[in-house]
Amino acid sequence: MRRFFARNAPAYVFLLPWLIGFFLLALGPILASLYLSFTRYDMVSAPRWIGWGNYEYMFTRDRRFWKALQVTFTYVALAVPARLIMALGVAMLLDKGLRTIGLYRAIFYLPSLLGSSIAIAILWRQLFAADGVVNQVLAMVGIQGASWITDPDTSLFTIVVLAMWQFGSPMLIFLAGLRGIPRDLYEAAEIDGTPRWRQFTRITLPLLAPVIFFNLVLQTIDSFKTFSSAFIISNGTGAPADSLLFYTVYLFNEAFKFFRMGYASALAWFLLVIIATFTAIAFFTSKYWVHYENERD
Amino acid sequence: MTKLTRRTLLGTIGAAAAASALPAMPALAATRTIRHYWWGNPERDKRTFAVIDAFQKKNAGISVSGETIGWGDYWTKMATQTAGRNMADLVQMDYRFLFEYVNRGALKPLDEFAGKSLMIADFDKGPLDGGRVDGKLYALNIGSNSQVMVYNTRAFQEAGIDADLINWTWDDFAKACEKITAKSGGKMKGSDDLSLMIETFESWVRQNGREFYSPDGKVTATAGDVASWWQMWADLRKAGVVRDKNKTVILDPPIAESGVAVGDTAMSHYWSNQLVGIQSVAKDKIGAAMVPHKAGGKPGQFIKPSMFLSLSRDAKDTEAAIAYMNAWVNDPEITGILGLERGIPCSPKIRAALTPKLTEVEKLSVDYFAAIQSKVGPLPLPAPKGAGEVRDAFMRAGTDVVLGKVEIAKAAGTFIEDAQSIVERAQ
Repeated sequence: MRRFFARNAPAYVFLLPWLIGFFLLALGPILASLYLSFTRYDMVSAPRWIGWGNYEYMFTRDRRFWKALQVTFTYVALAVPARLIMALGVAMLLDKGLRTIGLYRAIFYLPSLLGSSIAIAILWRQLFAADGVVNQVLAMVGIQGASWITDPDTSLFTIVVLAMWQFGSPMLIFLAGLRGIPRDLYEAAEIDGTPRWRQFTRITLPLLAPVIFFNLVLQTIDSFKTFSSAFIISNGTGAPADSLLFYTVYLFNEAFKFFRMGYASALAWFLLVIIATFTAIAFFTSKYWVHYENERD
Repeated sequence: MTKLTRRTLLGTIGAAAAASALPAMPALAATRTIRHYWWGNPERDKRTFAVIDAFQKKNAGISVSGETIGWGDYWTKMATQTAGRNMADLVQMDYRFLFEYVNRGALKPLDEFAGKSLMIADFDKGPLDGGRVDGKLYALNIGSNSQVMVYNTRAFQEAGIDADLINWTWDDFAKACEKITAKSGGKMKGSDDLSLMIETFESWVRQNGREFYSPDGKVTATAGDVASWWQMWADLRKAGVVRDKNKTVILDPPIAESGVAVGDTAMSHYWSNQLVGIQSVAKDKIGAAMVPHKAGGKPGQFIKPSMFLSLSRDAKDTEAAIAYMNAWVNDPEITGILGLERGIPCSPKIRAALTPKLTEVEKLSVDYFAAIQSKVGPLPLPAPKGAGEVRDAFMRAGTDVVLGKVEIAKAAGTFIEDAQSIVERAQ
């Protein structure tokens, strides 16, 4: 026991600010929302216990709930790979040993700092509007662009592009991972005359697997929680025709527009279940495709 | 052209900052404070802060702190404050939300103050009674309005539209749209496409002899009402005489982006107290027409209280709050500042005092109001809980129809089903 503390005390001291925040600020509301998810609560009158009523309604009668799931899953399936590929691509370009790498790293990271901001979402809406910049550029080369944002068939695509553009943080992590791959492996491959593409699939990807895994989990969690861009671009409603009805946007509407706090809490807990499931799947399958260098087998 | 120099720019920013900071600053000497919360726009906020200044000057012991926010976020913040038992003393209330807040016990009745500190005995009875729930007065009318088709007078003149715009029918409307579009060579369409406007659609249902909701809060509008509404607009779209569909599906655009303001169309649908705001952003002079009638149908339009002032459950200093409320509807200086921006006041005395000082567009709204008095139907009962959500559902289904993704008959049927289950669930 004493040894445990001697060894881990510094870690707990560093964790302290987070722990204090968690127990004082977060734990209470989290437990309260679990309780509220079993009630009917309109924020004005007292919550009324209805058992599993909210969850039952969610699965059996709420068409918009299923629509929200469909939109969110489509988004995650498109945005996560798109962003990871983008991040890895840029990281590999930057790994070429440029002298001004620090500058480029900063420039490429910038969109991620801005990307989740309200201003960028508003800018995005302007860019992809029927008479926006994107269509003006397309018009120059003689293409009649769609009305990207107001057409339910293309609106989600604009948000995927926005997500792709925010590749900064996975890029930095990839870059660190690439730096950790021993150079002599590539030199040896070079001498053997291995083509570049095979060097990538046989050396880079396998050795980068732990980093890819880390980024995949983080980005998946992040994407399920996407809110502000969809909220702004759809005017807070999930319009046009619910094509931007992200799970979080639906949850927000139920809570703060229609005052169904109990139902919204149930939605929030189900989102937690979804995210936990996906993370668990990633961890479970990881032993088949992620290998750590210092593993002895 | 005045040149913009660094100094003038800085000066302007400084002045603007000072101006916006001033009204919010509480008077330090005051010992009693009341909070007033309203939804607004820049023009309304300017007038309301001027009212607060005037009131504080006259009532040295009372300080009023004003809180304003756009309509979109207003009810979210209100719900949060209500749940936190931290409502402002005086809140701006809307007809659609009144029942909901009274039923939740969030408002205090005003009857005990009437005739003592709240002088409302000579007010028009109809508009005043719009604030009653179960016989008790919970909300004080601070202006009335009605639906209006705002039109571009120049475009109407050039196209030679001679229809009587108070008594006209949907056929006259369609013809006017054709003429305007033809006259401008297609550059200006006849009208905004109102497929998604549930406010105008409600008039359509009443013209068919039904209310949208029954007194016990069921949906009484039929799929037939919805389908015929959407079909009419589909025909107009096909004829190319209404606004582009990609503009139509943008929900609740700001006034400055309406067809009439931008010049895309010659007609848009609004509430009559918004005439002042629209004229301030429109290039041409605007006029006010009624929502077209159904030939041989019932009156669709109605006059309703546009806004109320209500006393919240959390108000502590009710005496100060009622004094402020009373000044809003009776004080000549304060009602002069407010003008008709929130609607037509229901005190005959105040109306008479305002008349000589009206601007051109204010006069337009007063004349319009006088002209429609005998053409409107009775005020419908306040919408049941869930009406806001029904509005969203209407816009969703309408978007599918306008973009041609779903058949009209099918979308209409789905919408009525959805609306019914929304209001049932909200009870």
